[in-house]
Amino acid sequence: MESIRRVAGAVVRAPFTRRARRELCYCAAGAIAGVAGFFLVVLTLVPALAISASVVGTVAGLLMLVVVLFLARRLGALQRLLLRWGTGDRVPAPAPFQPGTSLLGRLDRRLRDREGWRAVGYAVLKLPVAIVQWWAVFAVGIGLADITYPLVWVLFRNHPAGTKIGPLIALFPFPYGHLAIETLAGTLVAVLLGVVSVIAGVWLARGIVAVDGRLARALLGPGRVSELERTRAIAVEDAAAALRRVERDLHDGAQVRLAAVTMNLGMALDKTGDSEVRELLDAAQTGVGEALADLRRIARGIHPPVLDNGLADALDSLAASSPIPAAVRADVVRRPSPAIETIAYFCAAELLANAIKHSSANLIEIDIDTTRPGVLRLRVSDDGRGGADPSRGTGLDGLRQRVSTVDGALDVSSPPGGPTSVTVELPMRMTGGGT
Amino acid sequence: MRVVIAEDAVVLREGLTRLLADRGHQVCAAVGDGEALLAAVREHAPDAVIADIRMPPSHTDEGLRAAEAIRRDYPSVGVLVFSQYIETRYTSRLLESGAGGVGYLLKDRVGNVGEFVSALERVASGGTALDPEVVARLLRRPDPGLASLTPREREVLGLMAEGRSNSGVAAKLVLSDGAVEKHIASIFGKLGLESSAGDNRRVLAVLRYLGAGNATAK
Repeated sequence: MESIRRVAGAVVRAPFTRRARRELCYCAAGAIAGVAGFFLVVLTLVPALAISASVVGTVAGLLMLVVVLFLARRLGALQRLLLRWGTGDRVPAPAPFQPGTSLLGRLDRRLRDREGWRAVGYAVLKLPVAIVQWWAVFAVGIGLADITYPLVWVLFRNHPAGTKIGPLIALFPFPYGHLAIETLAGTLVAVLLGVVSVIAGVWLARGIVAVDGRLARALLGPGRVSELERTRAIAVEDAAAALRRVERDLHDGAQVRLAAVTMNLGMALDKTGDSEVRELLDAAQTGVGEALADLRRIARGIHPPVLDNGLADALDSLAASSPIPAAVRADVVRRPSPAIETIAYFCAAELLANAIKHSSANLIEIDIDTTRPGVLRLRVSDDGRGGADPSRGTGLDGLRQRVSTVDGALDVSSPPGGPTSVTVELPMRMTGGGT
Repeated sequence: MRVVIAEDAVVLREGLTRLLADRGHQVCAAVGDGEALLAAVREHAPDAVIADIRMPPSHTDEGLRAAEAIRRDYPSVGVLVFSQYIETRYTSRLLESGAGGVGYLLKDRVGNVGEFVSALERVASGGTALDPEVVARLLRRPDPGLASLTPREREVLGLMAEGRSNSGVAAKLVLSDGAVEKHIASIFGKLGLESSAGDNRRVLAVLRYLGAGNATAK
């Protein structure tokens, strides 16, 4: 009994809450934006699809599709803003569109823009939702009008008795329904109708706003794939940072301690004349020296310290120890993210090692540039005998896999007789990455 | 010999201080970063400096940058760079202003106290001291003149590059001084270094060997 009363109280009080007012405002604004968005998108989408299906209009149709996808993303952003403002519901924005590099690549990226297509889906599905939203606003408006009837009656219907006038018409929030009121008492029925209408409208608004929120979260938020891309970017950057930390810890910890040990052993050797003791100290020192060399090799494999100075210095160091003359041309205006730097460095190291081992070249060139926005391009070429086959050599295949973990690309040109040129393209930072 | 030490690891800093004191050298200052190193050199005008490369705040090449500044502003101060790693890029930066009064050693080398201290003394008196590892890396670099050297001559030149004197080379290779001199003369010949007054052929040969610019043109 108590619970029924509480529920009834909540139902009746709902129209007086701030939340109801905001939801109604959202319904009104969201519905306008929704209907406008629907027509904007559908009226461009349909001809775009029709034109691109025809033989002559493919290009124009595809360009129109690009416009549709662009528009849908913008409308999605507007809807997210309205939703946040109206209901406090925060739908996270999907990853921003990543433009491709060439004109064709740009078009291709646009057309495959999953977030854009989902936003188109939202714009289409929004139409029925917008109709219901409008209806909720309408019901509340009519209800409020109905509630004013006793007042209207008293102010405007106080004619002398016997005057022949038409009845007052109370409105229903449904098509075709109305109620003719002939007496002051009758207006109380209109009030009742109004109250029910307002309460129904408010709850309808609440329901449809929840539906809209779900829809927006499903179609306007980050999708599963972009969420995976984002977490992958974080994982890759975290892994790179962890490796740097391990190297730093080795450098500041074990390596320093071992260097101190070898120094102390050296001082002990310096002070003792006993040949047996000297022999033992010598053996200990040889062991420490080997341990230091091992650690150095391991640390370099984890993260070459010179990379902290940037790719140009690191590649210079790499090329300087090449037995075949190797020239480095580095045009790195902006620094890529640490993970990308590490991958680029190890790619260069591997490609250089390949060239030294297999090419019999006289000159190796390592070029690295960031002239194209968002892209780090590494090219290792040699004037050797060519014939490198990525499908046979596991080295190139492994590199390609490594590069693909960050959506990079590896391209090999190596005709028999040479020259060989391997180009690696990496994004400057990873898609969806917060770094 | 008056020495300034820059090393961010306290154990090594204190160890080095003690090691040098044991050998009768005076450590004027032992500091932990590049800025402090420059300040100490300004204040004490030491004979030699021992500088770690990787120091705070950025932990990249602080010490090397300080070393370059010291070589530029205080050419009389010998600079021994001291690191866990050998980077060829760092070697060439260090040698860009010539091969005198400079050294680059792995931290491991401090284990041999006698050689370490004599390397420092050599650097302080205007010589060079390069780690065998530095030399080994540079040895892989191609140079037609160098390619014509016999293995023995390469060995001799490598030891010269480390900064050893003729008798030092002779002792290391168990040769007579005369044999070493003959090898060196042959190296000069193959590298096209004619004897002429004023040119230090030894330094030129080593520079050529280290690939630090076109030494013969200087």
